Amino acid sequence: MKKNNKKNSVLQFFTSRSRTDSPFKRLVIHLVLIICCFIAVYPVLRVVSVSLRPGDRLLSTSLAIIPKDASFFSYYRIIFEKPFLAWLWNSLAITITTAFIGLILASTSAYAFSRWKFPGRIPGLFFLLTTQMIPAAMLVVPIYILAVRFQLINSYRGLALAYSVSSVPFSIWILKGYYDTIPRELEEAAKIDGASQMGTFYRIILPLSTPALAIVFLFNFIMAWNDWIMARIMLQRENMFTWPLGIWTLAGQFRVEWGAFTAASILVAVPVMILFLYSSKWLISGLTLGSVKG
Amino acid sequence: MKKILSICLVLVMLLGFVAISYAKVNLILWTKEGEEALDWNKSLNEEFMKLYPDVTIEMVKKTNVEILREDFLTASLAGAPPDILWTVSDHAGPFVAAEIIEPVDDLFDLNKYVESSLNAVKLEGKYWGVPISNGNQLMLLYNKKLIAQPPKDTDELFKVGKELTSDDIYALVWNQTEPFWMVPWLGGFKGKVFAEDGITPTLNTPEMLATLKFLHAMKFDAKIIPPESDYDAADTLFKEGKAAMIINGDWSVSGYVGALGDSLGVARIPKVSATGEWPKPYTSGVYFMLSQGISGDKLKAAQDFVEFVSTMEKQLEMVKLLNRLPALKAALDDPLITEDLLLKGAADQMVVGTPMPTVLEMRCNWDSMKPEMLAVLADIKTPEEAVKDMQASVESCVKTLE
Amino acid sequence: MEALNFEVIKDTLGQLGGMLLYILLGIILLEIFIYVILGKIFKSKYTLPYMLMIAAIFGISLLIIYPISYEIRLAFTNMSLRHFRTYTLSWAQGLKNLKLIFTEPILKNVKFFSLLSRTLLWTGVNVVFHLAGGLGLALLLNRPMRGRGIYRALLVFPWAIPQIIAVLAWKGEFHFEYGFVNIMLRNLGMQPIQWMISPFWNFVAACITNIWLGIPFMMIIILGGLQSIPLEFYDAAEIDGASRWNQFRTITLPLLKPVLTPAIVLGIIWTFNNFNVPYMINANELESTDILVTGLFRAAFEYHRYGFSAAFAMVIFIVLFVIASVYIRMTHGLKEAYE
Repeated sequence: MKKNNKKNSVLQFFTSRSRTDSPFKRLVIHLVLIICCFIAVYPVLRVVSVSLRPGDRLLSTSLAIIPKDASFFSYYRIIFEKPFLAWLWNSLAITITTAFIGLILASTSAYAFSRWKFPGRIPGLFFLLTTQMIPAAMLVVPIYILAVRFQLINSYRGLALAYSVSSVPFSIWILKGYYDTIPRELEEAAKIDGASQMGTFYRIILPLSTPALAIVFLFNFIMAWNDWIMARIMLQRENMFTWPLGIWTLAGQFRVEWGAFTAASILVAVPVMILFLYSSKWLISGLTLGSVKG
Repeated sequence: MKKILSICLVLVMLLGFVAISYAKVNLILWTKEGEEALDWNKSLNEEFMKLYPDVTIEMVKKTNVEILREDFLTASLAGAPPDILWTVSDHAGPFVAAEIIEPVDDLFDLNKYVESSLNAVKLEGKYWGVPISNGNQLMLLYNKKLIAQPPKDTDELFKVGKELTSDDIYALVWNQTEPFWMVPWLGGFKGKVFAEDGITPTLNTPEMLATLKFLHAMKFDAKIIPPESDYDAADTLFKEGKAAMIINGDWSVSGYVGALGDSLGVARIPKVSATGEWPKPYTSGVYFMLSQGISGDKLKAAQDFVEFVSTMEKQLEMVKLLNRLPALKAALDDPLITEDLLLKGAADQMVVGTPMPTVLEMRCNWDSMKPEMLAVLADIKTPEEAVKDMQASVESCVKTLE
Repeated sequence: MEALNFEVIKDTLGQLGGMLLYILLGIILLEIFIYVILGKIFKSKYTLPYMLMIAAIFGISLLIIYPISYEIRLAFTNMSLRHFRTYTLSWAQGLKNLKLIFTEPILKNVKFFSLLSRTLLWTGVNVVFHLAGGLGLALLLNRPMRGRGIYRALLVFPWAIPQIIAVLAWKGEFHFEYGFVNIMLRNLGMQPIQWMISPFWNFVAACITNIWLGIPFMMIIILGGLQSIPLEFYDAAEIDGASRWNQFRTITLPLLKPVLTPAIVLGIIWTFNNFNVPYMINANELESTDILVTGLFRAAFEYHRYGFSAAFAMVIFIVLFVIASVYIRMTHGLKEAYE
């Protein structure tokens, strides 16, 4: 009984609903969250401060986030003197397209896995899981050879294939999990009303899974946006570079242009942050709004 | 409609490609250069293409030498390597072992190049690269505002260093994480990492022991170097004026000129008092290497390009723009070098240097020396233990090269 | 290379357009193929699901099957720098590689079993903290409150930031002189730690970095799962007099399971195979911070032991497969997934 009480109070702190939260408790929660936010953001702030330091000084004894001689010169340099915008554009174009393709592929396949017990379903699920277990370093050499043989080098075809497909196994697993929580009664009700199988998919399942779809899209986007290994294999010509490849051109053998490097890194994180902020409304489920019976 | 348009677009592009490839010879050049050297590289390409209108040079930048090495191996494996490389000498070892580059003995007149440069890429009795520039050696760079005259030998270094080092300033800084900074001292103690045959590693030697003890003393007895310092830390300290001297390579000189201007001085790393020898930093440089099997028009174009870069005019241009020492023997006597203090100091150091071994086994040496050097500098191991462990490591590493 | 201008935009769009065309054509072909074969010829009732999946399966096969077969073949060779173009391919060589993996050091000093145990430790520590942190934060955020969107956006920073940048930033923070961590330690009166030289502390540094990186992801997944649990369940339970703990145990956990289990399994797999963090935090290439996959990478690309590392990769894969299967079996985690 005593143990339960302790667990109870810990759980109470974490889980109670807002109408029973005392103002004090709310204050504590905010405090905890603020500290966590600080921990989450601080290393990034330090990167910002390097980008504001003139002269490519990576290290400094001062802890100031904004250095005394702060200047935006590195940002100026990276945007106007280097083809940074071109790298961003390339990355953006290819990431958005492949994120969508991946989402389409995954959402349809996950639906199949969730709603039908077709032969090969369980081995299929296992296979998808095992693809995640393969150490990526293993695949570099053979994929390069494959790409050369099929002329996929120096075109976006090879890269798009790799990006669209590589996040699909994970996406299928997550989406299937979400689809499984949507009761079949909903679809059956719709079918009785005359909707086709795919109709229920579009009109019922997809809208109810917006949090999952948003997560999958975000995940695909981030994986493709940050990827370096595949891009390095497939893209040799500089005018096709995505930003990870572009940024590496700033890192020489001994001398790294730290100012430009960090400035680029910060700028590159911006689209992702925007995407996150924008997607937060999608991440809120419409599921709890009375569509499920108790 | 859209489909037809895109198909047309694709066809037009294809035709364009075909047209280009029939008219010209296309050389694919991979370069390890970055920043200013890259710009010079680019301008060379452009000038060359104007002189030889049938040739186009497509340059791919592989700024990190590790990446260049890995990618060249993978590309060769896939059957699609570049034609010509502009890279560092120690790539010769792995590439020769994998048989993916051509020997250059019969393809060029090698007599006009500096001998030590050539020796760096001499393996199995043949030469495997054509030098472009010389150097890459470590030197003693000092801040004249903090120390007017650099020490001539290590006893003086310790004495002067102790006086100089205070809470704000270190007398000497260097990259304490890479064995590249240790080997000059090893040379000063008359040691070598290889036996006479050039491929058997000899790390467990009295000379290595003496070197490790010396470094340990520098840090813990004389206390003239920071407790922990990697490349960037040393670089920052020197640029911020918190270090009187730094041991760094010729590539860093232009950066320090920018930060210190006329206060920058270049000298030889101080003589080792115990042996009376000058330390022998490794010299190497940048080289052209040709992909195995290159022939016909491509080979001719490559040869022309190499000759073009080896002319006196281009070599001196490189000296002026990049502060690098030339590979062409004749260019070394040019007043451009003999009258520039910084270059003169660099040449002075290079003369007592020794060519960096580039055999395949060298990698094992580097890998084995590094953790032991770190452990000694962190006072985790004694120098005696370290040399024994070094030798054990390197032997097991060489075994795996089979 | 030119800066961003109309040429570049046009070029990229053209490329992408062409690529989309290929993909579209390919998918249409596949769908027609399946429709005809399964629908018309076999009249299978599973035509629709297969049509839904075929594009994804095809792509995955291409990206995975060929490379895997190549590597399997490579595992039976002794390809390395000295045997680059010509090498022996035989069963005996394969066995020899296998023997080498288990008896000789992988790189210089460290052997297979110590790498394995270190990888297991790494995985365990990280996943536990990811879960705890993610669950805690998700629970805290799962209520209407002011600034929730901002909190979520900030807390997600570690995941949103490109991993290479984040790891580089942390590597800087562990710097002896200039890193934030040691500066804090000094200010608190403690001895600064040699993060980059000491084997133990380097491992700790890698763990700290990876935990920081991995919590947001868990948080988002769990938050999404929590949001799909209707409030009415909790209200009903409160009315019935259930304690918080009981509510958590009987409502929250089971309803989170379908989402949590794949997330945990994937978390285990990704952490086990995490390359970026142990590789880059290990600034001085200490062998004592290597886990299985970083050892694999070094063997393959720094020592060029291609045949050996292909065999090594197979072994790593099998180990991970066994671990994941055991976990799944133990938690019956996939029971609901199969229903």
